[in-house]
Amino acid sequence: MCAAEKPRVTRLIGQSMPTLEAADKATGRVEYMGDLTVPNMTHAKIVRSPFAHARITSIDASAARALPGVVCVFTRDELLADDDMETLYGFVYRDVPVVATDKVRHEGDIVAVVVAETENIAEEAVELVDVDYEELPSVMSVDAALEDGAIHVHDDFFPIAPELRPRAGTNICHEAQISKGDIVQGFAEADFIYEDSYSAPPVQHCALDRHAVIVDYEGDEITVWTNCQSPFPLQREIKRIFNKDARVIVPYVGGGFGSKSRDRIEVVITGAAKLAKRPVRYIMTQEETFQTFIRPAYQSWIKTGVKKDGTIVARHHVFTVDVGAYAISGARSANNTLKVATGPYNIPNAVVDCYAVYTNKPPSAPYRGLPTTQHTMSYETQLDRIAKDLGIDRLELRRMNLAREGDIHLTGDWLRNAHTHECLDQVTEAIGWDKPLAPSADGKIVRGRGVASTIKYTLTPPREMSENSAEVALGEDGIFEARFGTVNMGQGSDTTMAQITGDALGVGLDLLRLVHSDTGLTPVDSSTTASRSTYHMGNALVDASDKLKEQILAAAAPMLEQSADKLTMGDEGVTVDGDPGNGLSFDEIVRRNGGPFAAMGECVVGGTWKAPDGKEYPIASTFWTFASCAAEVEVDTETGLVRLVSAAASATTGTAINPHSIETQLEGGVGQEMGPTLFEQMVWSDEGQLMNPTLMDYPLPTMQTMPHYEPRFVEHPFDGGPFGAKGMGEIGAVIVPGAVLNAVNDATGVMFHEVPLLPYKVLEALDSRAGSEA
Amino acid sequence: MNVNVTINDKAEQRDVEPSVTLLEFVRDVLGLKGTKEYCHSGVCGACTVLMDGNAISACSTLAVQADGHDLLTVEGLGTPDDMHPIQQAFVDNFGLQCGYCTPGMVLLTKSLLDENPQPTREEIIRYMGSNICRCTGYAGILASVEAVVAQRGK
Ligand code: FES
Ligand code: FES
Repeated sequence: MCAAEKPRVTRLIGQSMPTLEAADKATGRVEYMGDLTVPNMTHAKIVRSPFAHARITSIDASAARALPGVVCVFTRDELLADDDMETLYGFVYRDVPVVATDKVRHEGDIVAVVVAETENIAEEAVELVDVDYEELPSVMSVDAALEDGAIHVHDDFFPIAPELRPRAGTNICHEAQISKGDIVQGFAEADFIYEDSYSAPPVQHCALDRHAVIVDYEGDEITVWTNCQSPFPLQREIKRIFNKDARVIVPYVGGGFGSKSRDRIEVVITGAAKLAKRPVRYIMTQEETFQTFIRPAYQSWIKTGVKKDGTIVARHHVFTVDVGAYAISGARSANNTLKVATGPYNIPNAVVDCYAVYTNKPPSAPYRGLPTTQHTMSYETQLDRIAKDLGIDRLELRRMNLAREGDIHLTGDWLRNAHTHECLDQVTEAIGWDKPLAPSADGKIVRGRGVASTIKYTLTPPREMSENSAEVALGEDGIFEARFGTVNMGQGSDTTMAQITGDALGVGLDLLRLVHSDTGLTPVDSSTTASRSTYHMGNALVDASDKLKEQILAAAAPMLEQSADKLTMGDEGVTVDGDPGNGLSFDEIVRRNGGPFAAMGECVVGGTWKAPDGKEYPIASTFWTFASCAAEVEVDTETGLVRLVSAAASATTGTAINPHSIETQLEGGVGQEMGPTLFEQMVWSDEGQLMNPTLMDYPLPTMQTMPHYEPRFVEHPFDGGPFGAKGMGEIGAVIVPGAVLNAVNDATGVMFHEVPLLPYKVLEALDSRAGSEA
Repeated sequence: MNVNVTINDKAEQRDVEPSVTLLEFVRDVLGLKGTKEYCHSGVCGACTVLMDGNAISACSTLAVQADGHDLLTVEGLGTPDDMHPIQQAFVDNFGLQCGYCTPGMVLLTKSLLDENPQPTREEIIRYMGSNICRCTGYAGILASVEAVVAQRGK
């Protein structure tokens, strides 16, 4: 179905425009979850486990219930007594109890919900809930969880997504392998073999808009307001658990970065709201967000075989991801990144092994591309080591191995839109790679540069599980309404969708109204994650717009006594080609039509792709995004402090829908990832208590640590994307640690195999280097 | 306890518990939800308001401490149709993405520029370094502040 036989005109696409909601945001008029209220609302607070692992021996909430102003307390007793409430939650991995039943599995695990007339009363009542625990041994790291005889965080596994494979009798909740060629042969052909291990500790997303929810259980359907990034899967999950229809409404979200991709509070608060028989609101504290979802600990071991001339002939990459106490999200994210673990390089023989492991840390969630970021750090820093060892220029080694258009990827995909060399060239030029570094005046500050390149997938489930739809309608007021499920969390999705829809219809923004992320009003969409929305939702909106346009032109044709192919849609309405005075306004067409128009659109993905060689190739990722980063650092050899001075980033974006917005996404990604690279990390005691749960002892990047940014993009339209666009919301972050570690190595001669680069670690490494040189 | 304030040029008088924070007072008692909360420990600056022109964290100030003082919140600065030049600069220079830090950032900018109308880049960075933004990487925010400075310098 395609009405757009005439060449498409782009007026809105390619314009750098501030987001449509920017003025409302700048004046504080936008309502986020924490600003919403509903009539007759009550307030919830959560009783959380103080232990990393314990059996609950008893819960006595009678004193809390007796406190004046307390409405109800929701515990396992109420959950288990209610036959109309399922006990386990999770739409990727069903392993989270709605509220703890027998055990708690991480510090902060949810034991009970107290509902009261005010937040203060609820807070007071939380203290009155008497819970007895029998503390159990805990496993606080992947290494501990994989030891023989380690305690099991879960006795059973409940994977839902078909690709997830737990190993019975262990803490491995998912293991998988991907391979290409023959690595035994590959390593046999290699002249040199390099082996390295890498690691990165957990961090928290610190989206400023804390997770929050309001649930109204009463009425024909459950109504849930939440800042979750996946409203549709959540809606189905709530419906399944409570056996009642649900509607999920997501307002503007103040940052997600993955932390809200699989919220878990909606279900337990729905249970509390059922009991309360009144709407219940719950807003996490910042400390609670640290106990809810985190970026997991990562470890990798990589072995690379190269020829003397630098050609990579074999790679074995093994990685573990610490999914924490529940695999609702972490297992699948780990699995997804198998596809990109060998990087944007053409490696003929490769094997990647992935292990997702349960521990007693808080559950993990994706974090702006995780763990692609850590894969990139691993293979990129090893490449610099290889370059140095073989005496080959670092850029040259990359250029000779970077994949090109039409190379066959690890997954068997024929790589498209693979402008890897252009990305690398752009960033090295932008950072001034060939310019001499400022000399070290007193020998105290040393400087260096580094690069890293990457490849990133987007969420690509099997065709039948991929849901990407949208609706576009023309109402009586002559205004078009685009209805789409994408959650606007600051990435500018409304504006992108408006630019795409406006150009697809041929009308300006004045004629467009947007409705976003409300399962009651917008058609089904998988989620707002993995940089997928511009491509998938953009295509669904183009499809809906094309169909709507066809309907409108077909209706207008008899009204104007013309055939539809002689008509054009524009800001004035529908006009006759070559006779612009002859036309009808949109409201007039709707009036004469006797009612409004509406059309549904979808984005069909998956299957195979027919390459120019005539063969069909798999599509493991609907599109691939390639990117490079060049970083310049200063290392203070007296204090060990590393400063990121300047960072250039470039990504293959396809058509740039909103160019400056792309640049600001890159800046934001780089600026965010700088924290985990240089100083952020969550630290637990041996007993499993988080030692730095507040911003007082968990520093974040500020304007004072900001590097100079040089954002770039490589704009070649991608066949299949809406007007040729691809997604890129996460990529700026992914390329940072690899480039920074390589720059520090360039400056100091010390290659770090872990982040963050805390000053004391840098000093230790500098000292031991000096020691070994002495 | 009785709290008398002038907020956004309007006199308000309320009776509150001594433990009520200025953030709760502004948001829940007066219903001005533009002022945001994240860390509740005086670090992030999402709750920045101006008291007698100085930027303070409303989460770590008690409502009673504001008694007799003059307050400005984001609602008092401009409206979507009639933005204050600082707000306009944040819009024009992509100084915001999710917008959650923005009320605090624009008020912090105002207090900076009221104190020091022509700050250098270093002075801007030092001053604005007290508030957290998770989306922009700060480049757009710096550009926004510098745009206001340039405009005023004309
Ligand atoms: S909420 Fe007040 S400083 Fe963070
Ligand atoms: S714009 Fe999102 S926190 Fe600043």
